[in-house]
Amino acid sequence: MAKKSKGRQRITMAKMENESNLQVTFSKRRSGLFKKASELNTLCGADIAVVVFSPGGKVYSFGHPNVENVLNRFKNINQPPLNQNNNMRFNEARPNDAIRVMNDFLTQVMNDLELAKKKNEELKKIRKNSKMPVNWWEDPVEELDLAHAKEFKGLLEKLKSYVTDEASKHFQAIFPQPNFYGGSSSGAPFRDGGYINPNLDPSERRMFNVNAYYNQNMYPPNYPLPYGNNNYAGGFVPEYSLNYMHGFNQYRNQNQNLNFKEEGISENECHQDGLPPHL
Amino acid sequence: MTRQKVKMAFIENESSRKATYKKRKRGILKKANELATLCGVPVGVIIDSPYDLTPEVWPSREDMDNVLSQWQRLPVMDRTKKMLNQESYLKQSISKATETCKKLTKENKELEMKEVMFDCLSGKTSPPRIEKSDLRGCGNVIEQYLRNLNRRIEILSKNDGASSSSVHAAATTSVAMPIVELGSSSTAFCDMIRQQQIQSNMNQNVRGLDLNQQQW
Repeated sequence: MAKKSKGRQRITMAKMENESNLQVTFSKRRSGLFKKASELNTLCGADIAVVVFSPGGKVYSFGHPNVENVLNRFKNINQPPLNQNNNMRFNEARPNDAIRVMNDFLTQVMNDLELAKKKNEELKKIRKNSKMPVNWWEDPVEELDLAHAKEFKGLLEKLKSYVTDEASKHFQAIFPQPNFYGGSSSGAPFRDGGYINPNLDPSERRMFNVNAYYNQNMYPPNYPLPYGNNNYAGGFVPEYSLNYMHGFNQYRNQNQNLNFKEEGISENECHQDGLPPHL
Repeated sequence: MTRQKVKMAFIENESSRKATYKKRKRGILKKANELATLCGVPVGVIIDSPYDLTPEVWPSREDMDNVLSQWQRLPVMDRTKKMLNQESYLKQSISKATETCKKLTKENKELEMKEVMFDCLSGKTSPPRIEKSDLRGCGNVIEQYLRNLNRRIEILSKNDGASSSSVHAAATTSVAMPIVELGSSSTAFCDMIRQQQIQSNMNQNVRGLDLNQQQW
């Protein structure tokens, strides 16, 4: 495990020696400086311009209302000042609406980011604390030997199929009514051009080509096909949109070998008591 | 280090505003100095406010002149490439932060689902008890894991020919586990695994999850 950094250290106020550290420092500090400049303007209504040259000679600048405007004030600094009331120059000091809205939004996003970071730390801590050395399958995949990896694979595949089954049951619960799904490009093995009649006798429904259920618009990508569960009449999930077509097609091609026990399973065998099916 | 988070909005109270201005101006100039010194680069700052009669210039008017001439020497396009004002700066900040936030939330979800997966494997929970909304995410994480596993198996299988002794040694110790008997009666997922854990703990067996005895 890589050693954690030493944390904040006192730094000598002189040009940094390490080239790459210098680059990183430049990047971070420049960014921080711009942030401070932005805040100064937001909080106090001051106009500001910051011009910074990078070690490589590129120039970065930040300015409000804009860089040129403020730079010009400097250029004209030696000229006799116009007889202006100081306050009048800054009538526009309050940030305009767009800026105000953006600041509010930024604050919100930063808060969300903060929360996400905390959660991330918590989750990693949880994983660290709950790991038991005895559970070799919780080790990184790279450390598993061949035998273990194969065992684990077998077990995971079973787990995957159970999770899939649970998920398909869930979909059924959400969508008890079949929707008419127009534009099915998988042919029309159904009656009525794609509409599945819920009143059909289940054994009749089972005669449909299972593949035909897999309307391209319907399935999320990488989603294992539930085996033998032809009560899937309600499996239309409109929210899985056309974007998934490509992923879905790839998936279909990979999984033609899955065993669909189309005719063999009666409804009673399908996970109604939460127990895994007989293998 | 901060006692209270400052709200990023114009400070209405005049004296507060003036006080903040003074402090922050000092702070910015300090930071500008550090940047210039540590990185050995030209830096120029101009601050113009109702609180000062003339614009404040840093490092000095002379140095600022040099910065400006260097600035002028650059073609317009180079000058404006990285030029920002409040609007563009804030937009940029927002999009960067949103991006990072999205990545983190995604990672968090994956970490959560990984826990669920491990909990299933060690018998702490089982698929029927997974939150319905998590099923899909869990499925995805399992798939991802399987992909990695397959890759690992592929790599190891290739090396098998090169006869890595460590692989063989591990394989022989794994063979010590009993062979599976398929077709045995099935019981609830959790109970089975729990039973085996108890058993293997009793046997002082290092392998907590006796995979070969899975009878599901």
